[in-house]
Amino acid sequence: MKQFRRSLLIMLIGVMTVAWGQGTLNYPISADPEHLDPWRSTTVATRRVLVNIYEGLVTLDPLTAEIIPALAESWDISDDGRTYTFKLRQGVLFQAVDDVTYENREMTAQDVVWSWLRYLSEDTNVSEHPEYLSDITGATAYMSGEADSVAGLEIIDDYTLKVTIDQPSHRFLANLINAYVVPEEALTARGDDLSNRPVGTGPFMFESWNRDDQLILTKNPEYWETGYPKLDSVRFVNIPDNTTGVLQYREGEIDLLFDIPAAQFKALQTEFSSEYHEEPGLNVLYWGFKMTEPPFGDNPKLRQAFNHAIDRELIWDILMEGSRRPGTSGVLPPEMPASDVTPYTYDPEKAKELLAEAGYPNGEGLESITLYYFASADDAPQVAFQDMLKQIGVTIDLQKEDNSSYWGHVGEPDVKLFLSGWSADFADPSEIFDFLFAEGRDDTKYDNPEVNALLKEATATSDEAARNAIYKQVHELIMADAPWIVSSYSKVSFLQKPAVEDFLVSPAGTYRAPLKYVVLNR
Amino acid sequence: MVSYVVRRLLWAIPTLLGVFTIIFVLTYMLPGDPVRAIMGEQYRRADPETIERVREQLGFNDPWYEQYARFLWRSVRGDLGQSYVLDETVKDILIYRFPRTLQLMGAALLVAVILGIPAGIIAARFQYSWLDHSLMLLALVGIAMPVFWQAILAKIYLTQGTYGVALFPVAGYGDGQFIYLVLPSLVLGTHLSATIARVMRSSLLEERSKDYSRTARSKGLTTHAVIFNHQLRNALIPVVTVIGLDVGYLLGGSVVTETVFNWPGLGRAVVNAILRRDTPVVIGTLIFGALLFVIVNLIVDLIYALINPQIRY
Repeated sequence: MKQFRRSLLIMLIGVMTVAWGQGTLNYPISADPEHLDPWRSTTVATRRVLVNIYEGLVTLDPLTAEIIPALAESWDISDDGRTYTFKLRQGVLFQAVDDVTYENREMTAQDVVWSWLRYLSEDTNVSEHPEYLSDITGATAYMSGEADSVAGLEIIDDYTLKVTIDQPSHRFLANLINAYVVPEEALTARGDDLSNRPVGTGPFMFESWNRDDQLILTKNPEYWETGYPKLDSVRFVNIPDNTTGVLQYREGEIDLLFDIPAAQFKALQTEFSSEYHEEPGLNVLYWGFKMTEPPFGDNPKLRQAFNHAIDRELIWDILMEGSRRPGTSGVLPPEMPASDVTPYTYDPEKAKELLAEAGYPNGEGLESITLYYFASADDAPQVAFQDMLKQIGVTIDLQKEDNSSYWGHVGEPDVKLFLSGWSADFADPSEIFDFLFAEGRDDTKYDNPEVNALLKEATATSDEAARNAIYKQVHELIMADAPWIVSSYSKVSFLQKPAVEDFLVSPAGTYRAPLKYVVLNR
Repeated sequence: MVSYVVRRLLWAIPTLLGVFTIIFVLTYMLPGDPVRAIMGEQYRRADPETIERVREQLGFNDPWYEQYARFLWRSVRGDLGQSYVLDETVKDILIYRFPRTLQLMGAALLVAVILGIPAGIIAARFQYSWLDHSLMLLALVGIAMPVFWQAILAKIYLTQGTYGVALFPVAGYGDGQFIYLVLPSLVLGTHLSATIARVMRSSLLEERSKDYSRTARSKGLTTHAVIFNHQLRNALIPVVTVIGLDVGYLLGGSVVTETVFNWPGLGRAVVNAILRRDTPVVIGTLIFGALLFVIVNLIVDLIYALINPQIRY
């Protein structure tokens, strides 16, 4: 009996601690961060946390995802587009933590240079992102050890930094978004442990992390932007199973819900109609053709036939309950400049004609083709894909593979048709073109010299209108080549408790949403 | 007895070596490029040179026998290595997660034993009665019902104010409070209790048909006394075997239960490691699991001797 009473008491205490503090945002994460190392962050799971602790010279606008100042107050770009002079924000203090003694707590140009040089390391245990800064003059020589410093980095004074890059690049500022400024003293004091207990300049400070369970950040009381952050703390709750997430959201254990199970999409939208929010997103899902292998590689008509055979609206609006937007324009999501091209409409008759022109009238002579897709993708769109191609006489076999083997496999020549996706960080065509259509980088191995040359030209073009005109040209070339069947564009859709205000989401996705603006009214 | 234990422990060495080799071969033979899996979903953003450097620095360019020897030599020295993906050593991973798995396992087994053994005894005592039939039907349902489904039902009715009563938190570890343990251990425990109940019942029935049971009854002992003083001890041996197997199975972490209840246990860590091709973690945790399995088996064998004095080592 005594035992029983004691366990009752423990249960009571448990229930009381379940109710969290007023100013604590309970934020769900579907995957635990691998680490919190600013120099090696490659996943959304790490960035979701890091964006609240660290800052770079620039960041993305919380609503429009355009580049705005962060630790740099402003910058000048020289007429030739090669020299950037950054004016740093004054009075930015590194976070005060017990075990780190600062010589100077204020962030200065020296700190920026020190942090950046660490990005330019050949040791992947130190940095996985030399590409953020490799455009800077002398960066390559520094990386290979030929130079002790980077020629293109010049500290004018504590608050002025002059950066010279080899060639003008309109992506240079964008690359700086994730090039964070870290206090050297923190690395000295914490060593390798800094990657588990980060210290930065951001609105939130690292408090604790129970792996696979929860990660807590607390307010940085000395944050440079007066009045922010509004929250006392953020509790990232690890929820690997999205159905569990729904149940936790319903019971108020979490304040937001990002992973809405596709099968419950409509039902949850109805149940939480006033808590449902939706923005267009910048993720593209596509079925890719292997451009180096038969039957697709040397047969554009065949690729076009496939493109006309797919009813994207039926798949995404009806079958998938509107969880994403049908891919009825080009390879760029409609929010991007240069996205306005002639799309492949659903037209089975035209598909049949093109199939005949491709040399396979009614699919005769075309062997069955395997569509590979990854385990975490929905099955329904693939089955619909199979059925729609059957309508024009093409046999598709479906092959689902677990995610980790899948991404290592799709690049191989035996995979002729596959499902893939890509998330652009901000609404610029380069975010898709440079990674997926330049020099065979995508698993399609699409490599069109004309496109490659135009992309180089666009990168060096600083005038926005002129650049977007080039991108439009690139987009048209790609559409004619049809290395993809665009499937859909994402929606940034999530549930948000009425108590949560100013959770500002841009097309870049929820993981980029800065939590410093969030207000809780409980 | 002591020499038996020593002999059994020595046998563990070839067993572990075998386990090590099998795990290494399996992870090595997994299709696809491990570096892509290790670098996460944004590997396509990294420049090709960086990917190549990661491959080189993690030793993927070395021939398989060199990789095998390197892993083996390290494991022999007791150094389980560092995760490729997480900034944790394999030792850290075990130290943090194993106690949590143990907690869940202990509580679930307790539930399983408390429910399973009495249910089996009652079913056997009242064989072919409605009680027996309903208990065994329940056990059949318990075995057939997947844990995740049981978990969903339990959660809907016991955590959701909308559909049932919000008695327990939906998921999570909290700060280790008991209340977070209740639901996952109930779900896992009832699932395991089903097998225990069925084995208990059939084992008791088997003992009932034996000569000594008939003798006991004919000398006028009550059914109650026959069961508890004579049959139960003998009937427990297969039950202990089943429980021992369950322990071995649960020590590696019960992946599904841990996932649906956000429980930070070993099972989830292992599965994530496999998905991310994090070979040091896969090898380290599975070797650890194999070692525990060997020890649990040994303990089970020693318990046999305790239950049945005829068994001697």
